[in-house]
Amino acid sequence: MAENKEALIKKDRLRFTKNKMSSTLIILAIVVNALYFVSIYRTDVGTYYYNITIGASVLYNLIFMLVAFLTSEGVKNYKMSYSYVSIVLGILQIARIFYLPAEAHNTPNPMVGSENEMVMSGEQFTYVTVCLCLSAVLLVCAGIVGIMKTTTLNNYKAELEKKQ
Amino acid sequence: MSDLKLQHLEKVYDNNVKAVYDFNLDVHDGELIVLVGPSGCGKSTTLRMVAGLEDISSGKLIIDGRDVTQMPPKDRDIAMVFQNYALYGHMTVYENMAFSLMLRKENKNEIHQKVLAAAEILDLTSQLNKKPAQLSGGQRQRVAMGRAIVRTPKVFLFDEPLSNLDAKLRSSTRREILLLHKRLNATMLYVTHDQTEALTLADRIVCMSMGHVQQIGTPLELYDTPANLFVAGFIGLPPMNLFDVEIKDGKAVCTEFTTELTAQEKEMLAGYEGRTVTMGVRPENAVPGGDITVQVISNENLGQNTLVNGTVGKHKITCKFRDWCSYKYGDTVKVSFNKKHFFDKETTNAIRA
Repeated sequence: MAENKEALIKKDRLRFTKNKMSSTLIILAIVVNALYFVSIYRTDVGTYYYNITIGASVLYNLIFMLVAFLTSEGVKNYKMSYSYVSIVLGILQIARIFYLPAEAHNTPNPMVGSENEMVMSGEQFTYVTVCLCLSAVLLVCAGIVGIMKTTTLNNYKAELEKKQ
Repeated sequence: MSDLKLQHLEKVYDNNVKAVYDFNLDVHDGELIVLVGPSGCGKSTTLRMVAGLEDISSGKLIIDGRDVTQMPPKDRDIAMVFQNYALYGHMTVYENMAFSLMLRKENKNEIHQKVLAAAEILDLTSQLNKKPAQLSGGQRQRVAMGRAIVRTPKVFLFDEPLSNLDAKLRSSTRREILLLHKRLNATMLYVTHDQTEALTLADRIVCMSMGHVQQIGTPLELYDTPANLFVAGFIGLPPMNLFDVEIKDGKAVCTEFTTELTAQEKEMLAGYEGRTVTMGVRPENAVPGGDITVQVISNENLGQNTLVNGTVGKHKITCKFRDWCSYKYGDTVKVSFNKKHFFDKETTNAIRA
């Protein structure tokens, strides 16, 4: 009985408190993504990055950060659609591993001319992969927490409306 | 809730300005005490000393039998409501009310229950998700009160909480504070310069002037038997009419009029024969009919009553008549005084039997 009451109060609390957990997770994901972004480009690889992909990459990062921030505000206010956006952003972060980092990791450094020296070293590749994976996990978790809390809140509100 | 003792409290600022002199007061459990006085009289300083926002220069402050004189504000278990509400603009009403409890790391479910209960008392349930900017002045003040209520402190302190509200809202919020006091049976210390608030809210009033306590008593005591000229002039709206009169042969003689003294007044003023004293008459005690001629200056109809401002010779006088009157400038009205107060001219203290 006491447990039920506690659970009920917990649900009722959702009506007046924000989903700070999801919001904080997304902000953390932005921070981790920033760590990835500032460490991806190496200067000792000649003109490897000097093509349209660098522009697209920079643009994507800016858009990602903006959308992720808006998503954090959305999930904070229990907007279901933003929870899905958060999950999609997380999946895209995983996909990014196979675009710039994986390619660079498999391309020899044109400045050295050795088949063993890659544009992106193994160490750097691990670092950026961890950053992208971590931000992906944070975004997906934020989305799942958001969906769960929003569903609970919506159901509870519907229950209250029925009672009235 | 608990009792509060202020023993010989004094406040001297660093520049040697003394703001409060020898303040003594016992506030009983569940009592609402109003500190009233003009600006600069030391009432807010006294309240801030109780809150711990000002150091106590000398004296003792005891809350519920515990000497808290040197304790920091957070350990005194008191809650203060400020004139400017002091709400966090970026937080919702719910968050504002819950904030102090969250800082104390109380259980979130308990905080929730306390906030909902306070919101229910203050009729704020429907406003819990709003931010202060979306609320009216009265609602903001209720939020500030709610923030105090959720803490269930030993003593509530109010520092002119209604001063920022318009007249109508002030009246309704005043009623709410009174209801809140009855409902919580809380010990409250309330500061105001508005004597109407003091008279309507207080169980007891402490009237202050220039850092000194002038009188402590029930609203009726202060109104009916003021201790001195200051209290007589400050409490009551319009203020008491004051005349310098000479006590002569059982009469109070003024240059413009003479009024008979009652047997009780004669006995009371026996030691003042031939001396000049100050006679005070409340506006409602100047009644139509009699032999004192008032030259009318203005006539203010208040609905049930009429305030007639005029002069008796060189003295200004305000009479409060029960009926709707239509006197014009220059008219004369004959009045008499059905109750008089007398004050010693030198000490300004009330003359009592």
